[in-house]
Amino acid sequence: MKVPYVEDKPTAGGSNPPSEDDLSRMIRDTVESWKPQRGPDWSGVLIRLAHSGPPAWLLYTAASAALIVILVTAFLVGSALQIGALGPQPVPSNLH
Amino acid sequence: MLDSRELDPATEFRQLYDQQYVSVYRSIRGVVLDSAAAEDLTQETFVRAYRARLRYTPTAPPGAWLRRIGINLAISYLRRQKLARVLPARLYVAPDRREYDRAEARDVVTKALSTLSPKLRAAIILHYYDGLTREEIASVLGVPAGTVASRIAKAVAIMRKSIGSDQDFGPERSTNEGALRGR
Repeated sequence: MKVPYVEDKPTAGGSNPPSEDDLSRMIRDTVESWKPQRGPDWSGVLIRLAHSGPPAWLLYTAASAALIVILVTAFLVGSALQIGALGPQPVPSNLH
Repeated sequence: MLDSRELDPATEFRQLYDQQYVSVYRSIRGVVLDSAAAEDLTQETFVRAYRARLRYTPTAPPGAWLRRIGINLAISYLRRQKLARVLPARLYVAPDRREYDRAEARDVVTKALSTLSPKLRAAIILHYYDGLTREEIASVLGVPAGTVASRIAKAVAIMRKSIGSDQDFGPERSTNEGALRGR
């Protein structure tokens, strides 16, 4: 695996990077100092569940089914009423 | 940190919520670096997890499953808000260098985190805070383990450089300022 080069020695006037262990500890200390202001709120989850709409997959499935029903109905109605291109077409007389 | 006691999301979701809420919040906050957004996304994580609880398969611990939902939500949130580009300027407030203490060290880490992309932050938080292995992080983020390893290495290099330059600059300037004031 290619690992990016990191200079350990401080350069003149440059940076003095912490070791990986120090960095790990600093990250853990920082993240553990983060506390949510409201804390766990189960009723909030229930409210969101009650107010949220149907899941996306259900919405897309219902919309696709509705589109298919509309297209099939339009084809059947067009065929029955002989509307437009679904009606009988004139046959060219010069064809044998 | 992921708890050793594994709760079944299908039957013990409420307990799972109480057990995992704070750690999921911290993981998400590590990506979005915004406490209010992190709380909102944490609630949304549990809402989505609750809806999907019956489809949960125990191939990974529930904590990792929740993180997968939460981290993906956080990255999507940042993508939508286009916050990633403006985070460094928005988050960083220069601290008082004469009061160098643990609080400032935390600011330094937050500033260093804000210089990373959301995907690098997610890898760093999952590895150093949640204690996940590269394979587990790969599963959470949906990328190969080699990609996780290179993301961690890149993020560590950037953070060490950022923190190193901050810490080097801070105390020296404080000392000099004190010496000048003492004259």
